Amino acid sequence: MEAFLPIGILFLFAVMLCAGIYVLTNLLGPRIFQKNKLSTYECGVQNPLFETNARLPFKFRFYLVAVIFLLFDVEGAFFLPWALVYRESLQLGANLLIAMLVFSVFIILGLIYVFQNNYLNVD
Amino acid sequence: MREVFFMIFSIFTVLAALGVVVSRHAIFSAFSLVLAFFGLAILYLLWGTSFVSMLQILIYTGAIVVLFVFVVMLLDLKKEETLDSAKTGPLVMAGLSVWFFSLLILRALNRATYFKSTNVEAASDIKSISTLLFSKYLWGFEILSVFLLALIVSACVLARAEYMERKADQ
Amino acid sequence: MDLTELSIVSIKTLLIYVAFIQVVPVMIWVERKGAALIQDRPGPNRVGPFGVFQPIADALKFLFKEDPVPKEVNRLLYNLGPFLILLPSSLIIAAIPVGDRVELFGRDILLQVADIDVALLFFLSISSLGVYGILFGGWASNNKYSLLGAMRSSSQVISYEIPIALSAANAVMFYGTFSLRQMVMQQEGVLLGFLPNWGIWFQPIGFLVLFVALFAETNRLPFDLPESEAELVGGYHTEYGSMKFAAFFMAEYINLATASALLVTLFFGGWHVPWLSDSWLLLKLGSQNVVALVQVAMFLAKISVLLCIFVWVRWTVPRFRFDQLMHLAWGNLIPLGLANIIVTAILLYFFEGR
Repeated sequence: MEAFLPIGILFLFAVMLCAGIYVLTNLLGPRIFQKNKLSTYECGVQNPLFETNARLPFKFRFYLVAVIFLLFDVEGAFFLPWALVYRESLQLGANLLIAMLVFSVFIILGLIYVFQNNYLNVD
Repeated sequence: MREVFFMIFSIFTVLAALGVVVSRHAIFSAFSLVLAFFGLAILYLLWGTSFVSMLQILIYTGAIVVLFVFVVMLLDLKKEETLDSAKTGPLVMAGLSVWFFSLLILRALNRATYFKSTNVEAASDIKSISTLLFSKYLWGFEILSVFLLALIVSACVLARAEYMERKADQ
Repeated sequence: MDLTELSIVSIKTLLIYVAFIQVVPVMIWVERKGAALIQDRPGPNRVGPFGVFQPIADALKFLFKEDPVPKEVNRLLYNLGPFLILLPSSLIIAAIPVGDRVELFGRDILLQVADIDVALLFFLSISSLGVYGILFGGWASNNKYSLLGAMRSSSQVISYEIPIALSAANAVMFYGTFSLRQMVMQQEGVLLGFLPNWGIWFQPIGFLVLFVALFAETNRLPFDLPESEAELVGGYHTEYGSMKFAAFFMAEYINLATASALLVTLFFGGWHVPWLSDSWLLLKLGSQNVVALVQVAMFLAKISVLLCIFVWVRWTVPRFRFDQLMHLAWGNLIPLGLANIIVTAILLYFFEGR
């Protein structure tokens, strides 16, 4: 646990850098008030609608990508401890190899399912 | 020294968790959740389990809360209106929360016997966890892969059903 | 940890951090001169000889520009955007081993900010936090284009995290450890008499998968869609001005540096000089500190080569469409990574089993 202390120090330095950026921006930049600057960027629309929230319609594709990413991330996180002990365990037989092959079969089935039904592309 | 850090990060995590519940806008809740999980990861570090800590950041903060944020952004959740006071839902939830919390406190004080820890082998460093995972808990590992497959299929099917419904509405 | 140790660690951390930040101005110049070279034009040549002081001019310009904040933004998240994107980029630097040891003040100081035994996992975890800067920055700007750019960019980043995890699993399987320092230590010396003992000879496909996936993680062309100038104006950083805008680019370049550092550490021998072993160097050069200098220089040279390759690819290849991008991640890289792990596992079993 002591090995992680320098990371905390690095974090403090990073926060100081970001704060420094903010302070410098506020000190050094001019501030000229113009009405147009207050509006967000809209191509071609002269007077953007100030009161609406500019949000998108729901796109399922993004949601599905997030869900499928979550599941495959968990699967990838299972590969990591397996990989750590794999090479040593080979002295004791093919147990881990079979275990991982079985695991991969299900994951590959999941991948094939996602692809066959085209979940990531069109929707 | 470790106790000081532990205290600081515990308070930080509890405040962040409070922030999840208290925030008006869903996206601030999601952000507080990120902070709460990060604080939790640092607490895991302070307990010496670096592997679990990294996995906490990788999976929880890096995937689950990303999913939450995606949903909040896509659904365009507006600011929450104030709740009516005469609703049974919140009262039931409050009661349940008080009950669970008191169980936790009683267990911590060793008075409650509801949650007895089963005979789990202890392992904190990454090599021990990995060896345990593939020797003693190998079945769990394999069942988990089937479980993940089921989750993938169900998530896709549910999302597509919802999508078809929404398209039919338009 | 007593005070001297704490101060040594702090100074070492600060030095390594500042060194990595220096990549940003250097890369600005390399990028523009490299672009100019590839596009057959002179490039920046006014500010100093060969335009070497161009980054300073850029930085000064950014500092003195106005920072217009639109009215309808979400204050807290808008201001947090640059923070959220710079912090993970900076934290990843902690896991990278820059050199071996330095013997100063009677102690052995490792040239790495934190020598943790889960370094690769730390790298994976913290780089997955980079999504939040994009998401919150894009959302808080209250602008359709920013939000669309943010969603696409974060979809891209998260899709390519899985090939990185699979390639990392491949490397871990081969080296048997998560610690980046141990991985570098295993890549010392010579292989088969004439090749430097690098990881790439053993895991070529792992290298390929990681290389492509890192392009997408750092939002570099050809995976440049989120920042595509013609399509989405500026993507998720449209509404940011002056230094906050610069913060996004600093984060991108620092990510690039750490990605190159990861590639070098896993596949190209880290800080080792190609055919020479450390003990030979120590014998020839005498002092451990001089050897450390040589090693750090070697590391920098290797990173520079990789950075030049990144710049070269950027100005050569056209941009992918979004669905092509997604298909590359889910349809090509993930199956390739999985197949790579399976084949490597089987090969390892046949070579080393029982």
